[in-house]
Amino acid sequence: MKKAFPLAAAVLLALPAWAHHSFGAEYDAKKPITLTGTVTKVEWTNPHIHFFLDVKDSSGKVVNWKIEGFPPNVLYRTGWKRDVTMKTGDTITVTGWQARDGGNWAHSREVTFSDGKKLFAGPPSGTGDGGNTPVVSEQ
Amino acid sequence: MMTGLRLTFSAILIWAAVPVSAQPKPASTVPRTADGKPDFTGVWQVASNRKGTWEQANANGGLGGLSASETAVRAPAPPRGAPARESAPYQPWAAKKVLESFNRRAIDDPQAQCLLPGVPRVNTVGLFPMQIVQTPQTIVMMYEYLNAFRIIPIGAKHPDDLEPTFMGDAVGRWDGDTFVVDVTSFNDRTWLIGTGTFHSDALHVTEKYRRIDADTITYEATMEDPKVLTKPWVYRTTIMKRDGTRLREYECQESDDDRQEYQKLLKDETVFRRK
Repeated sequence: MKKAFPLAAAVLLALPAWAHHSFGAEYDAKKPITLTGTVTKVEWTNPHIHFFLDVKDSSGKVVNWKIEGFPPNVLYRTGWKRDVTMKTGDTITVTGWQARDGGNWAHSREVTFSDGKKLFAGPPSGTGDGGNTPVVSEQ
Repeated sequence: MMTGLRLTFSAILIWAAVPVSAQPKPASTVPRTADGKPDFTGVWQVASNRKGTWEQANANGGLGGLSASETAVRAPAPPRGAPARESAPYQPWAAKKVLESFNRRAIDDPQAQCLLPGVPRVNTVGLFPMQIVQTPQTIVMMYEYLNAFRIIPIGAKHPDDLEPTFMGDAVGRWDGDTFVVDVTSFNDRTWLIGTGTFHSDALHVTEKYRRIDADTITYEATMEDPKVLTKPWVYRTTIMKRDGTRLREYECQESDDDRQEYQKLLKDETVFRRK
């Protein structure tokens, strides 16, 4: 059995926090996804942006996906400009991770625009869900 | 050579003859205010160790410096034989509660409700910049994240009419070049650092800010909570200067999408529970 409460003073060194809420609860790191489609709506809102994408599935049917990304301020500092970088009607490719419930929603990591330019759009997978190891030992 | 030595020796004698208060500070890259204190004024990024502008320090991954190829990797495994990370010193009943939050993937994170993050957690969120304004009487820390701010009077005592709050009541003092902040009067609704690290209203935090060079503040927070912890818990990080960065508004409640998605997920926890 592991010793759960060592006597020495516990020191936690910094692990930077990526997001204000648990992407790991909503989205599955084991479900990486790449979607190409047409932007139907952009919600440039705090605490996180969402954009919507019409994507053709394997049978040719168009499905609308909801994609989550970084907060607007983070995107501003990584090269995005509101109403300019991504607009309704644009064709883009987004990489990210699909929702745990298997629905048509995902969180983004990177967007590739029609001119080939790439920008980061969201955090790594599993963000905000506590990581790989809890801060306390399992009994 | 001898002349040089003698000169040095003479300089030491002269130095020693001057009262300590009148001696100039040794050459250093730490900027100082008119009253001789380390100057913390500026825009900073907490929980970082990279020098440079915001863009330089956070390139290659949006944030944190991860490259695209690393994005699927949460954190590198510790080298074989390396000591395992120490457990946080929670009392056994409290450790179970922390683990439950971990197993529920932090879906109960107070921050997800846009509540103020508390201390020291506010100094773990490297996603956003913070700005410090310093006067001889007060240091003000303003965080873009959740529009949080802390007004820290120097040399003051805690008021005697305090009520519990998310960010606590902070008073500061100088211990040499270290700015020491005593924080008390917390509510029990924030997490200390990461997932599930709850505390009680008995929490007492002692923070130490030390500007060690032009780029860096070292930060140490000692958390004491006899109702929940078995002993003090220490969090350390560095805070890096980010010249040229401007704080922007962050109104967390503009969109309610995530909380609505959480409500859907909570109907069946097996979808997201670890165990």
